Amino acid sequence: MVPKEPLLQFWGEGLPNMLHGLQISAALAGVSMIIGLPLGLLFCMMVMGRNRVVSTIGLVIVEIGRGMPALIILYLVYFGLPSFGILLESFPSAIIALAWNYSCYCSEIFRAGIQAVPGGQNEAGDALGLDDRITFFYVILPQAFRSIIPALLGQTILLFQDTSLAYTVAVPELMKEAYTYGSTTFQYLRVFVLAGLCYAVVTLPASWITRWLERRLALSY
Amino acid sequence: MTLATLVSQSVAANTTDDIDHSKYMIELGGVVKSYGGNTILHEVSLRVERGEVCSIIGPSGAGKSTLLRCVNLLEQPDDGNMVIDGQFVDFTENLGKTDLMALRRKCGMVFQQFNLFPHMSALKNVVFPQMHVLGRGKAEAEERAMELLKRVGLEDRADHKPSQLSGGQQQRVAIARALALDPAVMLFDEPTSALDPEVSGEVLNVMRELAEGGMTMCVVTHEMSFARDVGDHLVVMADGRIIDEGDPKEIMAHPVNERTKQFLSAVGR
Repeated sequence: MVPKEPLLQFWGEGLPNMLHGLQISAALAGVSMIIGLPLGLLFCMMVMGRNRVVSTIGLVIVEIGRGMPALIILYLVYFGLPSFGILLESFPSAIIALAWNYSCYCSEIFRAGIQAVPGGQNEAGDALGLDDRITFFYVILPQAFRSIIPALLGQTILLFQDTSLAYTVAVPELMKEAYTYGSTTFQYLRVFVLAGLCYAVVTLPASWITRWLERRLALSY
Repeated sequence: MTLATLVSQSVAANTTDDIDHSKYMIELGGVVKSYGGNTILHEVSLRVERGEVCSIIGPSGAGKSTLLRCVNLLEQPDDGNMVIDGQFVDFTENLGKTDLMALRRKCGMVFQQFNLFPHMSALKNVVFPQMHVLGRGKAEAEERAMELLKRVGLEDRADHKPSQLSGGQQQRVAIARALALDPAVMLFDEPTSALDPEVSGEVLNVMRELAEGGMTMCVVTHEMSFARDVGDHLVVMADGRIIDEGDPKEIMAHPVNERTKQFLSAVGR
């Protein structure tokens, strides 16, 4: 058996590639979030809207997006769409799958936040003669948003962890880099502990911030 | 049954009478409202003169708030009609969005729970509707808002959020917010019911000043002294009907109707 090199030295040799992978993971999560958040709000407005047809379409999109594991959505996009003549690179495929999945969960979070705003706020808007849309965007949404920021951040942390699925369609993100390093050194335990640490470096501070925000926002205006 | 009750029961839209309709701000005719088989209002008719303070009293569940909310169509009645500030409304028809908003613009409403926008300062609460409903510019809206906040005694609280204000102060901001849209009539839905007795006074004072300024007001209230001293017109409701109406002092001093007597003695009058 080949004597193992010291742990820190082993990690040090693998780290540059892993950090590059981490950047790709962060980019995946970032782009998916930027697309997914407004999309989630749109889905939510469709579901909550008064138009029956639009509302049903919204509901179908959201329920499919939430009902299927993100991995299956990813496979459908990457391996399934070519049957319809749509060939996507692995990176955009991952973004479509992750953003859709994420936006569907966010849609439900938005809905919960909007429904938590007291009904008197809408009534006040009506009594003042404000247009429904003005009331929604200037009165209801800011209050809803405030109460759901912690939940949205939590969902975004999950999104970041879900980027590891993109490894299965060969996006060179953190998980992929870790697997490559592991398969060349055969020291999988050491490699994946390092990979886990790399994810934790991002997710742990993020959840601390979430908890801190939660406390801040629980205070009144 | 008093003469006033008889008069008010002739339907508002009756065109063959020889009443001068222009002196009325609100004429409600045969308003019916029910929720799932439960009738809240039974053909209620009511006239409110311009510049009059009309107090609506009665036991809870009488339909007072519902009647008030029918006036600005927060509730859509099932039957009846209304003339408000010269505009005819048939309650059996669904109003278009433009008509509905034009109608609501005539009414300022003050709620029991204030319903201020908690994420906006007192000033912004008064400024924001002016800009979006009347299309006023920011400077003009702010000037008007400060003028009104001063009138309700809160010019030094303009930058405070509602949560930093007492209940009485919040309600006064809510009054300023409604006044800022220059309504023809002000509707008050139990404006002091959520307040401690000691801060109710400051809200009632603002309302008294408003009444003295000639504002037409409909006030659903449990404040008997306000109804007697400030009100011009007292309406007593029970079980979805107006059971008595007329001069407040007269009714309170010498109630004729049995239900009215009962109610007044129950509230200690």
